[in-house]
Amino acid sequence: MDPTGIVYLAVLGIAYAVYWRKSPAKSRKALGAGAISFAGILPTLIAVFGLVGLFDVFVPPALIERWMGSSSGVLSLVVGTGLGSIAAGPPAAAYPIAATLLKGGASTPAVAAFIVSWVLVGFVSLPMESKVFGVRFAVLRNGLSMLAAALIGLAMGVVL
Amino acid sequence: MTAATAHKRSRTDALKPYRLVLAVAALYGVAAINSPERAWGAALVAAKTFASVAPIIIAVFAGLGLVQVFVDKQALARHLGDRAGLPALLIAAAAGTILVGPVFVVFPLLKTMRDHGVSWAIITTALTAWAVKLPMVPLEVTFLGWRFSIARMALTLIASVAMGSLMGRLMREKPEAIMPAADSDTA
Repeated sequence: MDPTGIVYLAVLGIAYAVYWRKSPAKSRKALGAGAISFAGILPTLIAVFGLVGLFDVFVPPALIERWMGSSSGVLSLVVGTGLGSIAAGPPAAAYPIAATLLKGGASTPAVAAFIVSWVLVGFVSLPMESKVFGVRFAVLRNGLSMLAAALIGLAMGVVL
Repeated sequence: MTAATAHKRSRTDALKPYRLVLAVAALYGVAAINSPERAWGAALVAAKTFASVAPIIIAVFAGLGLVQVFVDKQALARHLGDRAGLPALLIAAAAGTILVGPVFVVFPLLKTMRDHGVSWAIITTALTAWAVKLPMVPLEVTFLGWRFSIARMALTLIASVAMGSLMGRLMREKPEAIMPAADSDTA
């Protein structure tokens, strides 16, 4: 079994033990809140890991390389940003997909742009954002965020 | 078939994850018909990946619960209101990173702040820094490595301040003059 998972669990166990002595009621509430978020995300995670398996076996690396490989340059950034913007889902689901893309030959900038746009840009939540903040803010923010995702991807390519 | 009923309820977010599970199950069905051994291989990869990160996922959500309960969102919002300029944006960025919650909690919270006179620049910075997703870092590191995770967070923070000051400027004109208000039918 992976030791890092055990370490994280141990750290969280200690954190809960400390908070429990301070405030048992709030700690119980925290545990409940965590459990509810986890239960909410579990079906999505199952589906995503299922997808990762299919991806791993059925999608030829050549296809990923052609669209998101480093030799594709700007196209790979556009594809990464576009995929992340369309995809809607919890960030926890983005990481396994991103790792699969990397393994399949996608470039670091493309994968970084994919992750950043996944969490920052929401085509699906655009109607809700417009309703809360106004159409102007929602459109401007999502547009700028797509640009930011591509730029962050580029910068990641330079840094890493 | 189920697609029709699923479509009818497409507005209910609660059912969305299950539609995805059904869709993936259907894909596995197709794969199993065409090539049973490769479909089995895919399922094995899926199960192994899931099993290897399950403890980390559980730890992340336990931590998320702690942050959710022990970080006072209202106090955080109050802190943002009474400052201006670059220090305000930096504080907004810091506040955004520890902000935890789904869209339908964070959007209204920031909207309330906006209604209390907090600038668009600060709202945008907090919203962008919210994408740092600090509590998710253990998971990100497992899949993509330390260097990737740290670089992405640092760059997202920089972007949050840049986006904030940019949006502060872009939103300064009267919104009604450039674009009509939100169409209430769309959502």
